[in-house]
Amino acid sequence: MADKETVIGPETRISGEVRGEEDLIVRGRIDGRVQLTQTLTVEKGATVQADVDVRHLIVAGTVVGAIVASESVRLTSTARVVGDLASPRVVMEAGAAYRGRVDMGDIAAARAAVSAHAVQRPAVVEKPATVAATATRPALPRMAPIAKAAVVAKTAAPVAAPVPAARPAAQAAAPAAPPAFPRVAGATGAMSPAWAKKKIRRR
Amino acid sequence: MANTVIGSSLVIDGEITGEESLTILGTVKGKISIAQGLSVESGATVEADVEAQTVTVSGRLTGNVVARERIELKPESKMVGDAKSPRIVIADGAGFKGNVDMDV
Repeated sequence: MADKETVIGPETRISGEVRGEEDLIVRGRIDGRVQLTQTLTVEKGATVQADVDVRHLIVAGTVVGAIVASESVRLTSTARVVGDLASPRVVMEAGAAYRGRVDMGDIAAARAAVSAHAVQRPAVVEKPATVAATATRPALPRMAPIAKAAVVAKTAAPVAAPVPAARPAAQAAAPAAPPAFPRVAGATGAMSPAWAKKKIRRR
Repeated sequence: MANTVIGSSLVIDGEITGEESLTILGTVKGKISIAQGLSVESGATVEADVEAQTVTVSGRLTGNVVARERIELKPESKMVGDAKSPRIVIADGAGFKGNVDMDV
């Protein structure tokens, strides 16, 4: 009997995705995503840090994440909830703590937004690539770092834009340097050939 | 009795960790690491590496299992993967494919 209902006990933690067509009672912790066709109950002391897509949601514990409930949401007096909330019926009891936006209208749009949110996550991983690409710009005057940065950009990001942009800039910098060099050499004469050679090698 | 129960229609993709017993009637893929007993009931499917005190299988389990105390494969159960535990019981009718390591 007790084995029929799904319970996540107080000392149990799930990280990942939970899907199902039955009621789920959480006394422990879930991180990730919860998708149910029935009721999710987050009991006092429990934590759900997840995007939630259910029919009914009853919260006495803590929920952090985007919430879509196709029928109702009830935040009891001990509830602590952070995240946008979309449901046609929303009840907040006295004592409930909530931060976020409530939408009692377009559930379909909210649901699409939640699933889009899930799809967008890989894009967040790509962010370091764009950071690396912008980081190559200040390094332009020096030749070697550009080559390295370009390689890094190539391997790290299949994003084509920053690589072609960096190359013409590098080529432009290279021809600009030689006309300036003889004048410097002429002015200083033979006083600093080592310095000049170093400069040539660097270029 | 069992503190955590995963119902028959439930699918979990990820990791379950805990300090209490776990009964699975549904589907779990990923990793299970608990301090007490795991029971994979008849009709349940587990595709995960398991670490627990005791593991009792009546359903289907695919993955490597390490039990600190005991692994028991009930009749009608199916298990594919390596089993490591000081005590391993395989009932008549159980299906098993994999290594057995009783630390001898």
